[in-house]
Amino acid sequence: MSSPALRLYDVKKSYRNGAEPVHALRGVSLEIAPGEMVALTGPSGSGKSTVLNVCGLLDAPDSGQREMGGEPLDARPEAELTRLRREKIGFVFQGFNLVPVMTASDNIEYPLLLLGTPAAERRRRVDDALERVGLAGLGGRLPDQLSGGQRQRVAIARALVKSPALVIADEPTGNLDSATAAQIVELLHQLTHERGAAAVVATHDDRMTRYCDRVVRLADGLLA
Amino acid sequence: MKWLVFALRNVLRNRRRSLTALLITAIGTAAVLVGGGFALFTYDSLREVSARDSGHVVVGARDFFTGDEDVPMQNGLGGAAALQAELAALPGVRAVLPRIEFSGLISNGDKSAVFVGRGVVAQTDFRVRGVQTGFVAGEPFDAGASLPEIAIGKDLARIMKANVGSGLTLLSTTTEGNLNAVDVVVRGIVSVGVPEIDRRLVIADIGAVQKLLLTDKVSTLSLYLSDMEQSDAVAGSLAATHPQIAVRTWLDLASFYQAVRALYNRIFGMLGGIILVIVLFAMVNTLGMAVAERTREIGTLRAIGTRPDEIVRNFVLEAAVIGGGGALAGMAIAGAVTIALLFAGIQMPPPPGRSTGYPLLVNFSAVLYAATGAAVIAASALAAWWVSAKAARRPITEALAHV
Repeated sequence: MSSPALRLYDVKKSYRNGAEPVHALRGVSLEIAPGEMVALTGPSGSGKSTVLNVCGLLDAPDSGQREMGGEPLDARPEAELTRLRREKIGFVFQGFNLVPVMTASDNIEYPLLLLGTPAAERRRRVDDALERVGLAGLGGRLPDQLSGGQRQRVAIARALVKSPALVIADEPTGNLDSATAAQIVELLHQLTHERGAAAVVATHDDRMTRYCDRVVRLADGLLA
Repeated sequence: MKWLVFALRNVLRNRRRSLTALLITAIGTAAVLVGGGFALFTYDSLREVSARDSGHVVVGARDFFTGDEDVPMQNGLGGAAALQAELAALPGVRAVLPRIEFSGLISNGDKSAVFVGRGVVAQTDFRVRGVQTGFVAGEPFDAGASLPEIAIGKDLARIMKANVGSGLTLLSTTTEGNLNAVDVVVRGIVSVGVPEIDRRLVIADIGAVQKLLLTDKVSTLSLYLSDMEQSDAVAGSLAATHPQIAVRTWLDLASFYQAVRALYNRIFGMLGGIILVIVLFAMVNTLGMAVAERTREIGTLRAIGTRPDEIVRNFVLEAAVIGGGGALAGMAIAGAVTIALLFAGIQMPPPPGRSTGYPLLVNFSAVLYAATGAAVIAASALAAWWVSAKAARRPITEALAHV
């Protein structure tokens, strides 16, 4: 039996809000299998973003354990976590978070540049990614020359171009109209499944949850 | 190359701000290059003057440069003619000129004044020194005249009420400690541009001076070389082969040149330092705002696996683009100023202690241009590192939440 793509065990995380501690996660345990798409739902302040940050190695838990592909993560130095994010994790943000001075192609190419992928291979994979997200011919456009849906397609292509083991998506349809959102949901589902990437998607969108293999509900820092 | 393209696009992101930083850098660079070029012109001019005045290499008796004399020519160089012939035969030596330094009183019959004299081989010495000794009236004297001829400083001529053709008397102490006098005719009135010297200067034929002092010695032999850069080598070689004589290079004797150089190095060094600090702060301001505005972008890039040092490198590249562009523009401005001054004919006022000004010119130096460009780019890079290092290490979640 293969190791889970990601495993959280009794993860706790709290912040200080002034003098008051805020317990964002009170002991979350979660396993995500390779290729599995998990929807993370819950009201605002339930801890969704904190779970995504912990899963995406953007933030460290106060206690508990994290594993990726069976390998424990929490004793690793920041440089090692950065390497893991570079190689194994793709991110899709609610606000797209594309670099405005980079064209669509450049944004998609960026993770491959970090990985030191040869130029010819980069070109091939960027063209392929643009094709797969339906933006063939638009690679030369800057983000502000693209619609919201097109920008999120670029962001999805950027997350998946390096064939990551895990995709972290934070409200990927939050800034899109319903028709575009439906296309983006379908695209994200299709591409992650095609590439065998596990995905954790924080969402309020019911259409999104319908495409996910499993829905996990968070309330007050605990899995419901 | 991709990173440089991204850096260039980021620089163009806020054109006005980048242009302001670039202009400050350009003006700073131009100021350093023009100021530095002026200092180099001054150094070169003084170097030329000093070397022409003393000779590239000067030899004297063992104690001539360090000892005090009880009587004139006590530390003079004997057997100078043979040594002069030997030195003149050395490769790279263009001329060897004997000189005598002496002093005494000069009189027109009614009044007397102290003079400081040089005994020279007239025609050769005036030719070798060139325009340095400028004739205000008259011409270089002739060694073969029936009465010894001299040139005197213009202020001394005024004091003595002398003109070309006037008869004067030189009075000096001989090598035996007695007084001796010689009647002379003024053949030329000269100015070296320093009032204190022009009030005292007498230049006479070396043979006449030897008769006046009752000596066959000379004070020094001045060697003029084909290549001034060989001065140290020739001096070193002479010191090794002639331990009985003292050898000095023009630089050893050029105390005014060395003082001016030390002063200008400090002044222009401080000016350059201040300008670099201004460039540094301009860049800190420009890139600091860019870093603050792009905090969320930095968070995104960090999230997708960019290391902090790669974030810093990107900002350093942006700074290098602005700094490099500013440096190039500054070099173009400085080059234009350098050329314009060649045609403008602007004269600087006389420096303290001198009576003549000098042209305002700026030297071009590839080394100065390269060093200034490198310093400006390094200051820009330092500024970028300074403002971006902390932001690059900010927690990613904080950076992503930045509004």
